[in-house]
Amino acid sequence: MGFGGCLNWKSEDLSLIDTNSSYAVKPEHIGDVRKTRFKLRPGRTLSPRKWQSAFSEDGHLDIGLVLSRIQRGGVHPSIRGAVWEFLLGCYDPNSTYEDRNQLRQRKREQYGILMTECQKMEPTIGSGRYIIKPVITKDGQPIQDLSSQGGDTHEPGETTVSSTENSRHFEETLAGTTPLEKTEVNWKRTLHQIGLDVVRTDRALVFYESEANLAKLWTVLAIYAWIDKEIGYCQGMSDLCSPLVILLEDEADAFWCFERMMRRLRGNFKSTTDFIGVRSQLSVLAKIIKTVDPKLHQHLEDVDGGEYLFAVRMLMALFRREFSIMDSMYLWEMMWAMEYKPNIFTLYEQSDLNTNKDALPNVSDKKSKNYGKFARKNMEIGDTDQESSLAIFFVASVLELKNKQFMREAKGLDDVVKILNDIIGNLDVRKACKKALKVQTKYLRKKKEL
Amino acid sequence: MASRRRMLLKVIILGDSGVGKTSLMNQYVNRKFSNQYKATIGADFLTKEVQFEDRLFTLQIWDTAGQERFQSLGVAFYRGADCCVLVYDVNVAKSFENLNNWREEFLIQASPSDPENFPFVVLGNKVDVDGGNSRVVSEKKAKAWCASKGNIPYFETSAKEGFNVEAAFQCIAKNALKNEPEEEMYLPDTIDVADGGGRQQRSTGCEC
Repeated sequence: MGFGGCLNWKSEDLSLIDTNSSYAVKPEHIGDVRKTRFKLRPGRTLSPRKWQSAFSEDGHLDIGLVLSRIQRGGVHPSIRGAVWEFLLGCYDPNSTYEDRNQLRQRKREQYGILMTECQKMEPTIGSGRYIIKPVITKDGQPIQDLSSQGGDTHEPGETTVSSTENSRHFEETLAGTTPLEKTEVNWKRTLHQIGLDVVRTDRALVFYESEANLAKLWTVLAIYAWIDKEIGYCQGMSDLCSPLVILLEDEADAFWCFERMMRRLRGNFKSTTDFIGVRSQLSVLAKIIKTVDPKLHQHLEDVDGGEYLFAVRMLMALFRREFSIMDSMYLWEMMWAMEYKPNIFTLYEQSDLNTNKDALPNVSDKKSKNYGKFARKNMEIGDTDQESSLAIFFVASVLELKNKQFMREAKGLDDVVKILNDIIGNLDVRKACKKALKVQTKYLRKKKEL
Repeated sequence: MASRRRMLLKVIILGDSGVGKTSLMNQYVNRKFSNQYKATIGADFLTKEVQFEDRLFTLQIWDTAGQERFQSLGVAFYRGADCCVLVYDVNVAKSFENLNNWREEFLIQASPSDPENFPFVVLGNKVDVDGGNSRVVSEKKAKAWCASKGNIPYFETSAKEGFNVEAAFQCIAKNALKNEPEEEMYLPDTIDVADGGGRQQRSTGCEC
């Protein structure tokens, strides 16, 4: 279908997208999923036509123009994949079509190499299938008898709790196998966890009726777990990856987009036996509320919510569970546009996964219109708090918005969870993001005063 | 007169990823099963009003994430728990083997005042799968383990078919109620635990 002039958009356009596109909900599950509030806003939403016109003849992108649109009304669903690649830093707006074609080709080849590497360890990778049941024990012994969908543990008789009996059992069945490298063992142990989550991710969508698409999501996550051994796989990541697998048709492209997305979010998933990364974000959230609304912070402490654990899911799955898929995509692109820094591509290209914290660029270096609103404010004020993200301010703004309700009704952590869940799903994404920016301003001002 | 405010009983559900914790909770609270449940991140809860001898209680059931690395978040959620439900999948040996870890981790993190007598209930879920043919942990073995841990009540359930779920949660609620220390009870004089409040006799199954 042609999109005509953006001024001619009607609500039917969106319903067409909703029912025809891959993120359509299966008819039998329409009642199970959250309602979508996203609406195309003529003159605000980045339309396909506007997007096209933002490129120069040789392909340089006027990112400032694109950002200003997205921050006002999101991205038209038909061009999301392409736009997100820039927002996430896969490509440099200052490059040409030719540069990007070459880079894309290189990245696809690189993905192919990674896939081959993983295939050698686990043949299910790249086979169009996926694994749900464990393929390896804790001590690195393969669990045999792989079914068509990967490793099923069809063990004769019963297994026992005793580890000595267990290892004897494996010694009998697997005599002669060489011990695997620890990194390989750890990776293989995540494969079935990925599978368990893949079959539970966005299953109401028509897109995941296809086994090939389930395998695509599984493979991207499995290969990511291999390149980022510190994180591997953690629950929540399948929620983050799924929209990318849906939007980007080419698996390699989806993979690199996910890799870029994880640059922002991987810290949340980093964990040791007594710590999980999201806690750092929770501390920032606590710091923000303590600064902008000390009474509310005190109240939350009094009701055992001072650790802000109620925000874990929101930050780890980046609001996927609180919003419909369409609305969470809208929220993501709006947040990424607001957080956008023109050096994002160079920064990621020049650093590995662990060192993507940048030095604050000098304001005069770059055109400030090429920054998102959130990033610009941080830059202007010279805020160097690298842990701060718009997502945290988003949660903070919701708490702020309803602080009276929290003060009045929240008598325990459970009440906090309940109130927050009730509010968030009903939010207007655009208004909520604006509110989040206000909280950011308030916070930065108060912080300076202190 | 019945108490104005209902007493809150807090229950925590633990177990490996994919054993059916969310499904069990939803089957009990909403009497429905869906294959659309997503992996739990962090924790979530549902509440249900339960009645014992003309008194109403609010059962607050906390569903938790199964992946190990979320365990460090547990302490805040486990605090104040009155009963802990350990779930495994009868078709996955590892999920049964891990029950011990889950139990120990809970006792460390929740640090109940009387860990020896803290009420647990074990559920062997997914007994419906493949007509029982893919089952790898026998009832006998599960019961033996429960017996060795101070006679933990044991139930075989199918969250999908609703089999035994109500009975299991009746027992869970009853045990949670027994655990609630009397001095913390709201209007304690109106609480009258049927079997005298003793939990020394918790045998396999629930004599509720």
